[in-house]
Amino acid sequence: MNLKEIKEILNCRNLSDESLLDTEIDFCIAADLMSDVLRFARTGSLLLTGITNNQVLQVAEIMDLRGIIFVRGKEPDKEIIAQAKERKLPLLITENLLFDACGILFSRGLKGGKTRLQEKNGSTSNIQPVVHD
Amino acid sequence: MAQQVIYNQSFTIKGGDFINAGSVSVKIKKILKELGLKPEVIYKVAICCYEAEMNTIMYTYKGYVDFSITPEEVVVKINDEGPGIENIELAMKEGYSTATPQMREMGFGAGMGLPNIKKNSDVFEITSEVLKGTKLLFKIFVS
Repeated sequence: MNLKEIKEILNCRNLSDESLLDTEIDFCIAADLMSDVLRFARTGSLLLTGITNNQVLQVAEIMDLRGIIFVRGKEPDKEIIAQAKERKLPLLITENLLFDACGILFSRGLKGGKTRLQEKNGSTSNIQPVVHD
Repeated sequence: MAQQVIYNQSFTIKGGDFINAGSVSVKIKKILKELGLKPEVIYKVAICCYEAEMNTIMYTYKGYVDFSITPEEVVVKINDEGPGIENIELAMKEGYSTATPQMREMGFGAGMGLPNIKKNSDVFEITSEVLKGTKLLFKIFVS
């Protein structure tokens, strides 16, 4: 599913260039604590969060996150939006609560950190052996 | 025999500097990417560095980072000037945190910092002296 479809599903406001919404999303992580993102997000995930400060951008950079959806209608400062634009990191805002936004995306087939394949292989690492764009 | 150092750089982190927080780790990640290290290695180093950088910013006055790469490993040493850690065993426990409400509002205080560094590194050493500071060393094997 790409971000354009996610934008429609969650009725999001887009803060980025429209062209960035072609980004494909395979996995999501929902968290308000940045260490949890570092520990549990699969690299290259879409982040759903209520945190709007510059640390989400830094964590996005570390984990090569493919986009951020701010829930509960939370809007980051202009400076954060400008920085994200510079880094070509898609930012979206939904009025949905975190639980609802996750539930909607999950019901449409998006998955979280741990996949059945990882469990089968006994791997507990959230780090993917590929470089994300 | 001493290992051949391919790359070495030092950084200084200022305690309480939330504006630039994370920038050292992002820089280190870019260096590793440019040097063409394996993605798994890059992510592990970047995650460890970010956690350590945030700890330094949140809890210390100043931190000195020494980052070096040899053909075998990436080595990061961070020595800080700060209050030190009274009980390292407790600080290593997942979920234990001394973060203030303001830090939690910013998305910190998960109590996962040091455990995340330990989990993602191959060598992890920490020593601390109360009222002086903490010395942290971690290594990530390259292959």
